[in-house]
Amino acid sequence: MLRKAFAGSLLTTALTLGMSAGALAELAPESITTGQLPPPHPYRIYLSDVAIGHIVDGRLHVIDGKRLSYEGIVATGYTGQVTLSADRKEIFVATTYYSRLSHGVRTDVVDVHDAQTLKKTGEIEIPPRHAQSLNYKGTIRASADGRWLFVQYATPATSVGIIDLQTRKAVAEVATPGCWSILPAASVGGRFSTICGDGTLLTVSLDDKGQVATQKRSAKFFDADKDPIFIHGEQDGDTYRFVSFHGDVYAARVGGAVAGFEPAWSILNAADRKQGWRPGGYQLIAQHNASGRLYVGMHDKGMEGSHKTPAKEIWTIDLAAQKRVARTPGTNAIALAVSQGEGARLFAYDGVKAAIAAFDVGSKLSLAGRLEHVGETPTQMELH
Amino acid sequence: MKWLDDLFERKTRTVAQHSSRRGALIRIGKLMVGTAFVLPVLPFDRTAQAAAGAARKAANAKPGETDCEYWRYCAQDGYLCSCCGGSANTCPPGTEASKVAWIGTCRNPDDGKDYLISYNDCCGKTACGRCLCNTNERERPAYRMGVHNDINWCMANDSTMFHCTLAAVVGVADGQG
Repeated sequence: MLRKAFAGSLLTTALTLGMSAGALAELAPESITTGQLPPPHPYRIYLSDVAIGHIVDGRLHVIDGKRLSYEGIVATGYTGQVTLSADRKEIFVATTYYSRLSHGVRTDVVDVHDAQTLKKTGEIEIPPRHAQSLNYKGTIRASADGRWLFVQYATPATSVGIIDLQTRKAVAEVATPGCWSILPAASVGGRFSTICGDGTLLTVSLDDKGQVATQKRSAKFFDADKDPIFIHGEQDGDTYRFVSFHGDVYAARVGGAVAGFEPAWSILNAADRKQGWRPGGYQLIAQHNASGRLYVGMHDKGMEGSHKTPAKEIWTIDLAAQKRVARTPGTNAIALAVSQGEGARLFAYDGVKAAIAAFDVGSKLSLAGRLEHVGETPTQMELH
Repeated sequence: MKWLDDLFERKTRTVAQHSSRRGALIRIGKLMVGTAFVLPVLPFDRTAQAAAGAARKAANAKPGETDCEYWRYCAQDGYLCSCCGGSANTCPPGTEASKVAWIGTCRNPDDGKDYLISYNDCCGKTACGRCLCNTNERERPAYRMGVHNDINWCMANDSTMFHCTLAAVVGVADGQG
C-alpha cells in the first residue's frame, strides 16, 4: 500500500516537472572545466588537518577567508606537515607514504604543490624520519631567503633535516637532542633555533652548503618544570614570542649565533589568577606585528592538564603596554591566525564545532562571519 | 642516525621502569596529581564518543575501560584500544604494540595511589576510529618528548601506522610502592 502511494507520488512529481520544464527555455549543454583560485590575498587560509579518523589520508584545506568559502584541497598523506615557500608560491608537505597504504616500504618525501593551481609539481625524497606529529608551525619551515627548507625529524630522537631548495635535495641532518620546533631567523637565511627541554634555545648556523657551521646554546630562559612554554611561537622579524602555561609572555631574539631574550611578563592580573585563567589550545596565539597586538586563546578554571582547552575568550594584549586591552568570546578556538598589515583579520578555528570564525581587527575584534563544517582534526592555520 | 634511534629507544623503554628520568617525572607528578577532577575531553569529542560519555554520565556509572574519564587515561590521546578489539593493556588482533611510548602519572581512585602509565600506540593498521580521547595531565610540549602526546608513538615500528592507544600500568610512583 505504501509502495503504491509512493509510486503514485513519483509519477505526479515527474508530470509536474515535465510540464514546468516545457514552459521554460532548455538549459544549454555544459562543458566541464577546472576551477581556479582567486588571485592571492592575505586572507587565504591553509588549514592543516591530519584527519585522525583516516590519518593515512590527511589534507590541507584551502579557504578564502575574505568570502569565507571553501576553495580546494591538497592531499597531505600520512601526518603531512605543511608550510609555504618564502615567496608564497609553493606549498611544501613533508609526509610519509607506504607502498601498501598501511605497510610495506616507507617513503618520506617533501611534496611540492603550486599554491595557486593546487597542482603537485614535484617531490623531494627525505630520510624516513619526518615528525609524524599533529600539525604545528615549527615542524617544517622555509628559511627567510628561500634557500633552505628545514624539516623536523623524530624517531623519537630529534633532528632537523636540511633541504637545499636550489638543488631540491636533502643535504644534511642536524641532531638536536632534547629540542623541538624550528624557528628560522629572518635576517640570516642559514640559521634556525630550536626550543630545548632544559629551558634554552639551541641556535644552528649553516654554511653555504647546508652543513653545520656552529651550534650554540643560549642561557636558560624558561623553566619547563615550573611553567613550560607552549611550542607555538609568533614571529616578528628575528623575534619570536611565546606564552607559558601560566600566562607569562617570553620573547626570544634569534638573529645572532646565540639567542637572546627579553624579560618575561604576565598577561594576568590578580583577579584573573584567582579565577584560574590560563592560555590553552594548539596554535594558541596570533600576533599582529604593526599594531603590537597579541591574541591569546584563554580559558578559566585552568588546572594541570587543561592546556589544550579550546578558548572561552580571546584576549587582546598590547605588547608595548604589557596589558590586556580587550576580551572577546573565544568561539572554542584551538588555533588562531591573523593577517598582517592594513585591514587585518583574525581567524579562529573552532575545535568543538569544526568551523572558522573570522574577526575584523579594529580597536576591538568584531565577528565578520563563520564558515561551518570545515576540517576534521586540524590544529594549524597558515595565511598566504 | 641509527645509533641515535637505538639509544633513544632503549632510553624510552627504560623510562617506564628504571631510569633517573623517572624520578624527575614522578617529582612533577607528585606536585601535580591532585584531586579526582574530571577534565573535559578535548578537542575532538564531537562524534559518537561525546554521546557515549553523556549517556554514561546520565546513568551515573563509574568510568570504565571504554570511557575517556577512566583514571588511567589521564594523559590519553587517541582511540581507546578497549573500543577497538583490545583492552587497556592489549593491542587489538593483528596490530603491534609501539616500541616507544609516552608516560603519564595517574591516580587510581580505588587505592589512592599514583601509577606510572605507559601510553603505547598499537600499530600497523589504519586508524581505529572509535572512542577518541584527549586528556593531558602532566603532558608537555615535545621538548619533553617522553611526556608528549601530540606525536605518533608508532614512529619507531616497521609500520608506523597509528591504530589506537592503550594505557598499561608499569609501576607505582616512587615513595608509594
